[in-house]
Amino acid sequence: MTTNISFILNGVELSYEIKDHWTLSHLLREEMGLIGTKEGCGNGECGACTVIVDKLAVNSCLYLAIEVEGKTVETIEGLSSTEGSLHPIQQSFVDNGGIQCGFCSPGMIMSSKALLDENPDADREEIKHALAGNICRCTGYIQIFESVEAVKGMGGQNE
Amino acid sequence: MRLPRFEYLEPSDLEGVLNLLATQGDDTKILAGGTDLLVRMKKGLLKPKTLISLKALNELSYINEEDGCIKIGARTPIADIIASDLIQKEAFALFEACEKIGAISIQHYRGTIGGNILQDNRCIHYNQSEFHRSGRQPCHKDGGKICYARDEADRCNSTCQSDGATALMALGASITLAKKGTERVVEIANFYTTDGIMPFAMESSELLTEIVISIQGGKSSYKRLAYRSAIDYPIVCAGVFLSASDTKKDEIEDARIVVGAMGRSPLFLVQESFSLKGKNLNDTEVFKKVADSSMNSASTFAVHNVGSTLEYRCVMVSEMVLQALKGAAQAVVAAKG
Amino acid sequence: MSKKNSEFSVVGKRIPKLDAAQKAMGRAEYIQDIKVPGMLYGRILYSKYASAKIIKIDISKAVALPGVHTVLPGEDVPEKMKMGFYKDNPPIKKDKVCSFRDEVAAVAAINPEIAKKALDLIEIEYEEQIGIFDPEKAMEKDAPLVHEHTKSNVLKLPWNIHYGDVDKGEKESAFVVEDRFTTTGVTHCCMGTSGALALFDATENLTVYTNTQIPSLAQKDFLETLKVLGLKNKRVRVIKPIIGGGFGSKLDTYAYEHVAILLAYKCRKPVKIVFDRVEEFKATSTRQPTVTYIKQGCDKNGKLTFRDIRMVLDNGAYTSWGATTPTVMMMPISSLYRVKNVRYDAKCVYTNNTYSQAMRGYGNPQATFAIESNIDMLAEEAGIDPIEFRRINQNVPNETTPQDFKITTCGLAECINEVEKELKSGTAKEKGVGVGMASLIHVGGGARIYKSDGCGAILKMDDYGKVDIFTGGTDMGQGMDNITAQIVAEELGLSAEDINVVHTDTDICPWDVGAHASRSTFVAGNAALGAAKKVKQKIQEFASKFFDVPAKEIQFKDKLVFVPGDQEKSMPIDKLLRKAHFSQNGTMLMADYFYDPDNESFRKDFKCNLSATYTFGVHGVKVKVDEETGKVEVLDYIAAHDVGQAINPLLLEGQVYGGVLMGLGYALTEEVVQKNGENMNANFRDYKLFTAKDAVNIKAPVFETADEAGPFGAKGIGEPGCVPTAPAVANAVYDAVGVRIKDLPITPEKVLAALKEKNG
Ligand SMILES: Cc1cc2nc3c(=O)[nH]c(=O)nc-3n(C[C@H](O)[C@H](O)[C@H](O)COP(=O)(O)OP(=O)(O)OC[C@H]3O[C@@H](n4cnc5c(N)ncnc54)[C@H](O)[C@@H]3O)c2cc1C
Ligand code: SF4
Ligand code: FES
Ligand code: FES
Repeated sequence: MTTNISFILNGVELSYEIKDHWTLSHLLREEMGLIGTKEGCGNGECGACTVIVDKLAVNSCLYLAIEVEGKTVETIEGLSSTEGSLHPIQQSFVDNGGIQCGFCSPGMIMSSKALLDENPDADREEIKHALAGNICRCTGYIQIFESVEAVKGMGGQNE
Repeated sequence: MRLPRFEYLEPSDLEGVLNLLATQGDDTKILAGGTDLLVRMKKGLLKPKTLISLKALNELSYINEEDGCIKIGARTPIADIIASDLIQKEAFALFEACEKIGAISIQHYRGTIGGNILQDNRCIHYNQSEFHRSGRQPCHKDGGKICYARDEADRCNSTCQSDGATALMALGASITLAKKGTERVVEIANFYTTDGIMPFAMESSELLTEIVISIQGGKSSYKRLAYRSAIDYPIVCAGVFLSASDTKKDEIEDARIVVGAMGRSPLFLVQESFSLKGKNLNDTEVFKKVADSSMNSASTFAVHNVGSTLEYRCVMVSEMVLQALKGAAQAVVAAKG
Repeated sequence: MSKKNSEFSVVGKRIPKLDAAQKAMGRAEYIQDIKVPGMLYGRILYSKYASAKIIKIDISKAVALPGVHTVLPGEDVPEKMKMGFYKDNPPIKKDKVCSFRDEVAAVAAINPEIAKKALDLIEIEYEEQIGIFDPEKAMEKDAPLVHEHTKSNVLKLPWNIHYGDVDKGEKESAFVVEDRFTTTGVTHCCMGTSGALALFDATENLTVYTNTQIPSLAQKDFLETLKVLGLKNKRVRVIKPIIGGGFGSKLDTYAYEHVAILLAYKCRKPVKIVFDRVEEFKATSTRQPTVTYIKQGCDKNGKLTFRDIRMVLDNGAYTSWGATTPTVMMMPISSLYRVKNVRYDAKCVYTNNTYSQAMRGYGNPQATFAIESNIDMLAEEAGIDPIEFRRINQNVPNETTPQDFKITTCGLAECINEVEKELKSGTAKEKGVGVGMASLIHVGGGARIYKSDGCGAILKMDDYGKVDIFTGGTDMGQGMDNITAQIVAEELGLSAEDINVVHTDTDICPWDVGAHASRSTFVAGNAALGAAKKVKQKIQEFASKFFDVPAKEIQFKDKLVFVPGDQEKSMPIDKLLRKAHFSQNGTMLMADYFYDPDNESFRKDFKCNLSATYTFGVHGVKVKVDEETGKVEVLDYIAAHDVGQAINPLLLEGQVYGGVLMGLGYALTEEVVQKNGENMNANFRDYKLFTAKDAVNIKAPVFETADEAGPFGAKGIGEPGCVPTAPAVANAVYDAVGVRIKDLPITPEKVLAALKEKNG
C-alpha cells in the first residue's frame, strides 16, 4: 500500500509517496538519502535513530513514516545552518570531545536538543535522564554530558 | 531493519476504530505507540495484515479526576502520566512504575499506558529473531507443543514484565474494554488468562479505552529490580497499596500486594495482603514475614525465562515486597502527619 | 631533550577531533550509508546447529526467486579459501558446521527484503552431532572433537614460559595464595555494525569498502582470495569508510568480507553486506573466555617470590588471531610488579562456541583480573595493606623484567600515590562501601606481534602552506587522525587544521600492520613525525639559500619560517613554498617515512623487548554494595596513567573514560550468554551495556614521563582504560562486604550468593 503524506521536514513543507510499512528511519535514510539519522539496532534499544517529532525525541526506527503526516520532523541535517555553521549543540559536542566514532552522535545530539529546547538549564541528572535511551560505546558518556552542559555557555539556543 | 508489509488504517474517532475492529479478523492489531508491537513485528513474532492506528484518537489521551476516581485514557503517553500531579499524589506507585519504563527520550513519549498493559509477555526463548526460532521446534507461544523454559509444561509460562500493569493491579485499578455497541469494565486482577500464549482475557474485537483507579485514601509504592538504570525490564517488581484505619492510628485497614515479572501476569497475593489487615504500620517484623511469604507464593509461578537466575529472582521477591511495603507504610504515616 | 608542555604550540592541546564536525552534522559516511550504482544486497545464512553434518543443501527455490542474482552454497567456494590465524575457517562451510555462527550459504539480491526471503528458501538437511561447550571438558581425553582431523581439541600453540625457578620461589615464600578465576565472553558492541562492499572493475581489479582496522593486511587476505579464484596479478584496493567503533573487532578479515567478494565476483556487480544488530551479536566474536589457575607468593616483607599461572582459553570453533592473545597475557604475567620467578602455561581449546577474537586489551584484562585479584588476597594473607603491598613490588624506571622487557620510563609509583590520595580521601567507612585498586602494564610503543611493527607515512605540502599526510594508520574514532595532525603541525610550525590526514585508502596510503596494541599514537605518530622532519629539512635547505644562513638555524612557528633574532629573515611558509615549487629548478616538498620501532620479536622462550616503551597505570574505585540485593554501585573511579606525553588531553581523556566504562561493563554487567553454543542475548536489552544513567564519575589524571622513544614523548593509551577495571572492582567489593567474586561478571546474584555463604 502506498500513501501520500505531507509533513514538515527540517523546516520545509513537503509531500512524499510512501509505503505503509516504512518506518520513519527507513524513509529518511533509504528513500530520502538523509543518512545522518543512524540505525544501531532497529528495535528501540540504542537511540542512534533519534529524531524530533513535534518537539519530542523519538526513535525513528519504531515510528511509522505514515504517522508523521501533518507533523514537524527535525533531523540532524536540519540543525546546522544553510551556511554550514554548526548549531551550538553540535559545536559543543565537537569542542568537548562528545564525539569519537560518531555513530551515536546524531541521535545523542537530537536527544540533547529536545531536552535543551524544553529546559535550557538542565543539570547533570536531567541530562542523564534525557540521554538514557542513547547508547554510546566509545566515550563513557562523560564528555557527552560536558558537551550538553557547555551549550549554556555558548549563547544558548539558536532557533 | 524492515517491517513486514501490512495495511495501515487510521480511523478518525473511537466509533471508527470499533467499527473496524468489529469487521476485521484476528489478523488486525491496534497500533498505539508501537514500541512493543513494532518490535515484535520486526522479529516476525506476528504478522498482522492490518494495523489500526490510534493516532487520531486524541479523545483517548487524558488524565482526569472524576467521582473519586482517576480516569486515564488508554492512549495517554507514559510521559504524561509521569508529569501528572494527580498521579503523583493519588497513585504514586503508577508514577514510580512509569518512570522506570525503558528510557525517557523514547518509550515515554511514544509508549502509551494502554500499550504498556497490553504489551505481550516475554521469554528469552521466544523473543528471538525469526532465524533463531526457525532452528528448532516451535514452542507453545510460537504455535507448537513444547516449552523451552519449563520441561513438560502444558502451556506457555512467558513472563509479564509490564511495570504499569503491576502498579495498576496494586492500586486496584479496573479497565474499560469497548466493543462495537457494548462496553465492559474488568478489574485488572481478573483480566488475565492462565496461558501465556494469549495472556489477556479479551477479544480481538475489543479496544482498551480507559483505566480507572478509585481514590481510596491510602498510599502506594512500587519497587523494581533491574540490572541497569534504563532500557531494562524488571526481573522482579512489586507494587503495594496500604491504607490506615480512620479510628485506630497506625493500623492497616486495607492492603494489596502485587508481584510482577514473576509469572504470566502480575500476581495479586490475596493471602499475604489479607494478613496485613489490622497490623501496625510500623511493624517491620510483620512486613518481613509477609515479604517472605510473598516470595513463597510468587515463586511457584516463575520459570527461568527472563534473564538472571530463577533462584535469585525468587529471593528478590521478598526484598522488593519488603521495600514496597516500607515505602507505602512510610507514605501513609507521613500523610497522617 | 624532552620539552615541557608550555613549549609546545600544538602538541598537548585540546584540539577537537578533526572529523567531529562532519560527524556532528550527520555527514560522515559509514558502511551503512554507502551505496554505489547497481549495488546488490548480500546476506549470509547461518547454521541452525552448534555441531552438525550437512547432508544436503538445496538452493533451487532461492535461485528461482525473482530479484535474486546469485546463491552461493559452500560447495561453490574454492577449497583453498580459508581465514584466520590457523587458516581453519572457510568463509562458507560445506560438509560440516562447528558453531551456530557458521556460514552455510549466501545470496545477493536486488534488495534486502528479497535477500532475506531467499535465505528462507534455502533448504538444508543437517545431521546433528554432539557439541562441546566447556573448554575444560573439551580438553578431556574422550571429549568429542570439534574438528575431526585434529587429535585433540587443544590447539598446538607454544604458549608457555618459565623464567627463574617457580618451585624454588614457592619454597622460599612466607605466604602463598592460590585460586581459580574465570572470565566470560563479552563483545565489542560497536554502534556501527560490521559490513563490506565489494566491487570489481572491468579488468577484474577489486575494490572493497570495509570496516577494517588492518587495511594493509586485509588487502593481503583479499589478494589471496582473488588468487584462489584464479585471478592472478590483480589489484586490491581497500577503502575504509568512517568506522562506527572498532575495539579490536576488525583485526581479522571475516567471512562477510570474503563472501561479499565472492558474490560480487559471481554476479559481476557490486555487493554490500551489512550486519543487523542480531547478526552483529551472533556472527562477530567475543573476548576469549578464560579459566585461570593462579598461585602467587611473597616473603615475610611482602616481596613477591613467584607467580605461577595456568590458563585455559575458549577458542571457539575456529582460530582467529585472537589465539595469540596469550603472548600479550605474558606481559602482565611476567612484568606487572617485580617478580623473578614466573611460569605461565596457556591452552587454547576448540569448542563449539562462537570463535573468540581480539578485543581492546588483547588478553591483558583477563590476565590482570586474576593477577590483581590474587595480589589483594596475598596482601591480606601477609597482613600488608594492599596499596603498600603494591608499592613494595612496583615496577621502576630503567629495569629489565624477567621476560627481557626493557622498561625505560615508568610512572607506576606516581600513579599509585595519586590513587591512594583519592581512595583515602573522603569520609569514614560507611557500611557496604569499599575501595579497591589494580595496576596495569601495557605495550605503549607498538608490539612486535607480526614480523613488522611498521607504519608508513607520505607527506606533501602544497603552495598554500597546507599539508596532506597519507598514513598507514587507522582512525576508528580513537583519534589517530588528530595525533598525526598535531605532531606534524608541531614539527612544521603549523596549526592542526592545516593538516589533512588521509587514512582511508590503500591506493594512496602506505603500508601499516594495523590499529592494534595501542600502537597508533606511537607508531603512526613516529612515522608522521619522521616524514615531517624530512620535509622540514628540505624546507630548511631551501630557505637556507634564500636567507643565506646555515639550514640548522632556520625555525618554524606560527606558519612562519624564520631565523631567530633576525627580523629581516622571516617569511610566511606558504610564500616560501610557492617559491620552491614555482620557479626554475624548483623542488617538490614531499617526503615519505617508514617507522618500525626499535622493539623485538619473541625469541623461542618468548623473551624479547616486545615494545619500545610500556604504559603504566593504576585504577582505584569506590563501590557501594547493596547487601539486600547484591547490586554493586560504582560511586567514584580514578584511572591514573603514565602516558609519556599527552598529545591531546581531550582525546586522551575520552579514551580513558570510554575504556573504563567498557571495563566496568566487563566487571559488572556484560556477558554473551551462550546456551549450548547459541547466543541468547543478541540485543541491547539483554546484553547490558552501561547506559547514560549508569555512567560513572571518572577522574583521569595523567603523568607525563616524556619517553625518549615516543613522538614528543608519547606512549599508547588506547587500551589501558579497560585493563585493570574488573580486578579493581572485585577488590572494592571485597573491601566493602568481605566477599570475593572470582567469576566475571560480578552480578548481583553472585554477590548475594557469596554473602549468604559467608553469613551462613
Ligand atoms: C527498549 C525498550 C525498553 C522497554 N522497557 C520497558 C520497561 O522497562 N517496562 C515496561 O513495562 N515496558 C517496556 N517497554 C515496552 C513498551 O515500550 C512499553 O510497554 C510501552 O508502554 C508500550 O506502549 P505502546 O503504546 O508503544 O504499545 P504498542 O506497541 O502500540 O502496543 C502494545 C500492544 O498492545 C496493543 N494495544 C495497544 N493499545 C491498545 C488498546 N488501546 N486497545 C487494545 N489493544 C491495544 C497493541 O495491539 C499491541 O499488541 C520497552 C520497550 C522498548 C522498545
Ligand atoms: S515459556 Fe515456554 S512456551 Fe512460553 S514462550 Fe517461553 S519457551 Fe515458549
Ligand atoms: S536504531 Fe532505533 S533505537 Fe536503535
Ligand atoms: S562515539 Fe562511538 S558510539 Fe558514541
